[in-house]
Amino acid sequence: MDFKDYYAALGVSESASPEEIKKAYRKLARKYHPDVSKETKADEKFKDVGEAYEVLKDPEKRAEYDQLRKYGARADGSFEPPPGWQSASGFGSGGYTEADARGFSDFFEEIFGGGGHGDAFSGRGFGGAGGGYRQQMRGEDVHARLALFLEEVFHGCEKKVSFTVHEADQQGRFRPRQKTLNVKIPAGMRDGQHLRLKGQGSPGFGGGEAGDLLLEIELAPHPTFTVEGRDILVTVPVAPWEAALGASITVPTVGSKVSVKVPKNSSSGRKLRLKGKGLPGKHPGDQIVVLQIVMPEQHSKDAEQLYQKLAEAERQFNPRSKMHL
Amino acid sequence: MARKDSVLTVDVADSGVTFSLREMCERGECHAEMVLKMVSYGIIEPIEPAASDAEQTWEFDLAALMRLHKAIRLQRDLKLNLPGLAMSLDLLDEVESMRRDIARLRQQLRHLSRDQGGD
Repeated sequence: MDFKDYYAALGVSESASPEEIKKAYRKLARKYHPDVSKETKADEKFKDVGEAYEVLKDPEKRAEYDQLRKYGARADGSFEPPPGWQSASGFGSGGYTEADARGFSDFFEEIFGGGGHGDAFSGRGFGGAGGGYRQQMRGEDVHARLALFLEEVFHGCEKKVSFTVHEADQQGRFRPRQKTLNVKIPAGMRDGQHLRLKGQGSPGFGGGEAGDLLLEIELAPHPTFTVEGRDILVTVPVAPWEAALGASITVPTVGSKVSVKVPKNSSSGRKLRLKGKGLPGKHPGDQIVVLQIVMPEQHSKDAEQLYQKLAEAERQFNPRSKMHL
Repeated sequence: MARKDSVLTVDVADSGVTFSLREMCERGECHAEMVLKMVSYGIIEPIEPAASDAEQTWEFDLAALMRLHKAIRLQRDLKLNLPGLAMSLDLLDEVESMRRDIARLRQQLRHLSRDQGGD
């Protein structure tokens, strides 16, 4: 078992005052809250910070921890509590706590007692619509994010989703369990859209109904397309003469291609709308082709002469007239 | 500790599902007064806000349920009061939408500069 340095987790010294510890905790809790932070592993950091505070805010637990820290930690970072160790402050067995202790580390559980995962009777028995029945409890809803590629969103797909549910054991203590589902995602989901999988969250307790799995779709960036609402945008390069004379060009769509007519005399940035070629659904979006005029890296002598002629023929045109130049 | 489940295939058909006030309380593990306060602070809204006097007929959509969960987590973990909670959630929404916009615009810029040979 690894030794947990709670002082390091909160970024305070061993001699920190209770006020300093509280302040550090509040700041870090805001910073790493999984609903606020976009940092990777924010939830782990948030848990570590919460666990550290749970111990250091309590003078009794802190004193016990300090003692163990002095004698129990080994040079290689591993940890074994002294033989016969028993916490006087106690956590799970009757000890009341505000903290949601599910998910505290094995280290915590070893030191402060078996209640480290919370239990069905004290941890979350309050509330509920009826309030009275604490023996029967609905399982909790579980949130998970699911990142999808545009191709998957466009065509629909089958995806493996892994998440953690909390399951009460025979003693009524919650234990985390990894769960994996194969989920069929319909075509046309949008970035940030929510999905519910009924009964796939944490199991209920004492005959209570299971919670749901609530999925939030996250769309991964695509190298060619961008998505705006239900519309799919693509920038398509055209040659100056295609833009000037009009042309029939081939443009990519998700997973295929389509022929598009570029109107005569098109400027860079002109948008061509392909109806119904956006994200599928009851009201399918459009694909929007944005024209981008590009130059060859080098012109031939012939081409340069032709441009020279063009410059003379179009002498009247001032592309910067709107800038009053 | 982690036992692996057999893999199930689930068809996602009911994202148009709604939840009553009672179901919201049960799922959010909170009292009805809490949900009512959240509605009055504009943190969540029933699908048809017109019927604001008839709480028993309220129905909430999935987005409202997920927002309720989020609000309760934030309140529990950061000890926010309701006005603070309402403002935090609004600001978080704004940050989220700006993050999405920036990501999309950056991507468009990348596509443009690539087409210009600048990438």
